[in-house]
Amino acid sequence: MNEVFSSPIIKARQLTRIYRLGQVEIAAVDHIDLDILPGQMVVLKGNSGSGKSTLLSLLGGLDQPTEGELHVAGRDLRKASPAEITHYRRSSVGIIFQSFNLLPTLTVLENTCLPALLAGKPSPQVKARALDLLDWLKLTARLQHPPSHLSGGEMQRTAIARALINDPAIILADEPTGNLDSRNGEIVMELLWELNNKLGRTVIIATHSTLADRYAGLSLFLKDGVIAEYS
Amino acid sequence: MKKAVFLVRLWIWFSLRQLRSQYWRTLTVLLGIALGAAVFTSVRLAVNASVDSFANSMDTLAGKADWTVVTPGARVPEGLVAALQKHPAVETASPLLSTYVRPAGNGGEPFLLIGLDPISDRDMRQWSSTGTSERGSSWLTLMRTPYTLLPGEKLSERWHKAPGDSITLEHAHRTVDFQVTDILEPEGLALAEGGGIALTDIATFQEFTGLHGWVDRIDLRLKASAQNDAARSIAAMLPEGTVLEKPSEARESGKLMVRSYRLNLSVLSFVSLFVGMFLIFSLVSLHVTSRRHEMAVLRSLGASSRLLFFLFLLEGAFFGVVGWVAAIPLSSFLVRRLVEQVSATVSHLFVRVQVDQLPLDPLEAASSFALTLFVSLLAAIQPAIEARKVHPREVFLRHASRENGSPAPYCLALLGALLILTVWPLVRLPAIHGVPLSGYLATFLLFCGFSLLSPWCLHLLGSHLPPLLQHVGGQPAYLGGRYIRDSGARMALSVGALITAVGLFVALVIMIHSFRGTVELWVEQSISGDLFLRPKMSEINRYRDPLPPQTVQLLQDLQESVEIVPYRRIFLTYEKVPYQFEALDLSRLRHHASLLFLQGHPENIFRELEARDGILISEVFANQTGLGVGDHFTAQIEGTKLDLPVLAIFRDYRTQGGTVHYPLERFTKKSGDTSWSGARLFLKHPGEDLEAAALALKNEILTRSGDQAQALEVTTGRDLRRIILRIFDETFSITSVLLLIALLAATLGITTTLATFILERSRQLHTLLAVGASRTQVRTMIIWEAVLMVITGEGIGLCCGFFLSYLLIFVINRQSFGWTFIYSVDWTALWISLPLILGTALFAALPASQLVFQRPASQVLRE
Repeated sequence: MNEVFSSPIIKARQLTRIYRLGQVEIAAVDHIDLDILPGQMVVLKGNSGSGKSTLLSLLGGLDQPTEGELHVAGRDLRKASPAEITHYRRSSVGIIFQSFNLLPTLTVLENTCLPALLAGKPSPQVKARALDLLDWLKLTARLQHPPSHLSGGEMQRTAIARALINDPAIILADEPTGNLDSRNGEIVMELLWELNNKLGRTVIIATHSTLADRYAGLSLFLKDGVIAEYS
Repeated sequence: MKKAVFLVRLWIWFSLRQLRSQYWRTLTVLLGIALGAAVFTSVRLAVNASVDSFANSMDTLAGKADWTVVTPGARVPEGLVAALQKHPAVETASPLLSTYVRPAGNGGEPFLLIGLDPISDRDMRQWSSTGTSERGSSWLTLMRTPYTLLPGEKLSERWHKAPGDSITLEHAHRTVDFQVTDILEPEGLALAEGGGIALTDIATFQEFTGLHGWVDRIDLRLKASAQNDAARSIAAMLPEGTVLEKPSEARESGKLMVRSYRLNLSVLSFVSLFVGMFLIFSLVSLHVTSRRHEMAVLRSLGASSRLLFFLFLLEGAFFGVVGWVAAIPLSSFLVRRLVEQVSATVSHLFVRVQVDQLPLDPLEAASSFALTLFVSLLAAIQPAIEARKVHPREVFLRHASRENGSPAPYCLALLGALLILTVWPLVRLPAIHGVPLSGYLATFLLFCGFSLLSPWCLHLLGSHLPPLLQHVGGQPAYLGGRYIRDSGARMALSVGALITAVGLFVALVIMIHSFRGTVELWVEQSISGDLFLRPKMSEINRYRDPLPPQTVQLLQDLQESVEIVPYRRIFLTYEKVPYQFEALDLSRLRHHASLLFLQGHPENIFRELEARDGILISEVFANQTGLGVGDHFTAQIEGTKLDLPVLAIFRDYRTQGGTVHYPLERFTKKSGDTSWSGARLFLKHPGEDLEAAALALKNEILTRSGDQAQALEVTTGRDLRRIILRIFDETFSITSVLLLIALLAATLGITTTLATFILERSRQLHTLLAVGASRTQVRTMIIWEAVLMVITGEGIGLCCGFFLSYLLIFVINRQSFGWTFIYSVDWTALWISLPLILGTALFAALPASQLVFQRPASQVLRE
């Protein structure tokens, strides 16, 4: 575990997200306090509906808290404008999904380049970095392939390359091994560990799987939207 | 710039590849929009070609003239030329005569023969002959040798005549052999009338037409040093009834007549583009719905909501641009077929035009492109706004949510009802400069209003009908009904394409039926007569040549067996509104014919007309000039000033402007003009076979006319009425073509809409299979959905059509052309057509129903 800075990169106080379904209110995240230091590898565990994905989406700037405070990488996400949150998603976080979420009409190379191009970085520079990443992830032979031609492992590795293209400080992974066989699941976990251990990225993984346990610096067990257990 | 380049790049990656992979749907929408753009562009080009041809002819005929001396309703004495030439401000005074004549024999096409003074005309108009480099020899020959002419290149080719050949020409006055002196160079004056002109010396012209001492007009070119008040001093020296006009007035007056036709045809042709708009809306909104998850991924990767908005707006723009490009070959195919029909209609209804070329007007092309792009962007805006609402958190949802935040059906229905209600005050507004803008806006609001009613209607239908459907069609019908209930606003708006097309169809069917019914009644009652007699080519020459005195005498000799109703018809303008002044023997006519008066009993009106001096005006004239019963009509006709009250207004469907009727006896008394433009003949003792008796009378007149016979046009009443109705039908054939194209585009809309809904519900439909439904049951369910969708579209379209037909008949037609019709519904046509449209639409649904099982259920359900 690399702890480069002593102040938390993620700081949440009384963080709450309530969804309204008709007349019913559901607290998916319920008054959570949380500090995550830079370079930590955190595993969020819990049953379906425990609030793991909601917490990840709050941390990733994909959703807005209903109550509480949330500071990530020096930004107050509660008060940030939509434009600032968009910028935050481009520059500070990289997200890896269970179902990969690669755009089907784009090739492996294009999918990888996309976040950097959205951030307005120059195309040649983006392409060079994407090629480096895809080479590291052993996808050079698949550059021009659409996602539908890839195996699950290849798709998730492409998603990892895409998450890294903007060199974010934080990597968020939602069930990254959920759609993979055990061999590919191992490979992906190794890669995430490498990102944390060798490159110093803060990695937060939400998962049911026990695969991540041995890599976790911090494990949080969520139940009904609250952190029930720290380990 | 960098952002725009990236936007296009992302659009190619994200959208274009998607469109390419679903090429059938993309091609269908492109075909729809291309059809719309092609119809719009080709109709505009065809009408413009006709109007331009008319304007160019008028301009080349006017030449460099600053002013023109004319006598409204009559001719100008030739002696005035010398007097005008002596005026200190006048550089050149050039007399001109023109008339339509034709080569003798059946089938000779009329052309414009121009009589001019080759010397004074030298400075006025540009023309030269091909035979010699010196203009001198050919124009000298025209002057020296009687009955010589210089035809345009087109005419000489049509006649197969070279210099030195002779050709026999016939005119209302006589038939004479002319010698072709030379051929006109295809430039300047020779290009008037699409090249269908010939020049001759003024003296030859006058002898040929019997107009010794008279000219049609004198064109004046003023000296550069002429004072500002020169026109006033020239006008002062003109005799009573002769006026000074700007040469552009005739052109402007003609263009004014065509303007409404052009505008209405443009609006009608726009409907296809409007229907195409629904297709774009349907496909883009499908993409927004079905790719919601991908958009959420884009948002999670840092794409702004604005970027998504522009991504889908660009998709709309793509359809607009590519659709327009695809429309180019379609337009060039259509315009060639339309131009002939449009120019024939313009010639029949308004002014004679001869289109010899189809100029590609860059401005017209640019405006058609801009309009196509605009409607395409407009169609994509709502789905693009929907795309903008995609939240990045949706990336965690396995399946895209749909119809988020769609307004409730009753809200849309309320808005629709409000729009429909807005139509009422709108239709009461007057036209602006003769353009029924409020009528067009009301039409647009009607389409939008009725389309917005459809979600509520679908919801209502889907809520109450399924139990009944279950009895009729079993479970598939029940499920189809339930889906219709829950389909939301998007399906309803797609039904809008059908509502628009059906609404327009119904409205036009009713309008054309009412129009035809009224015209038939008018023809039967007002165009009565067993035989009609007039000089040859009088219509084309605007009745400028009266019946020869010998013919008038002959008719008077026939009075024992025939009742004669003579008339004098003069083409004039009233405050720039063209109309026909017709002095006729109304006291005799009323025994054989009736006018369709808008108000009042005919007997009372004729009695009033006998008792006091006054005129009867047509509805068209009343609407175009604003004159009503009791108002005073003032005019100067053949030098005679008339100031008469309007006694009544009658329906009239005569082409080329409104009509003013005045008793012939009074006109002859006031003007001293005893000539007749023509006469209607009624057999006093027709016997059993009226047609045979009329033909016998025709033969008798022609035989007794001797040489004069060739100058006469004698038509039996039955033939004339048949010709009028044929012209009517030809005029509306173009409308029917435009209508069919709009229906075709709407049918494409049904295919696209159903296909999109099926693909969108792929999971749901395969789940039905998984729980035990058979493929046939699922397909039957889809067909039921289509039936309900089409029935709803037709039902609402039918209501919309009735409203629209009222608008067309009583607002748009009245404000555009000045006439209204007796409202009548063609139930037979509607009863036959509506099931046909239903059948066609269902047929269009078949390919969509085949799409559902293209992929294995296991694969679809695993996704």
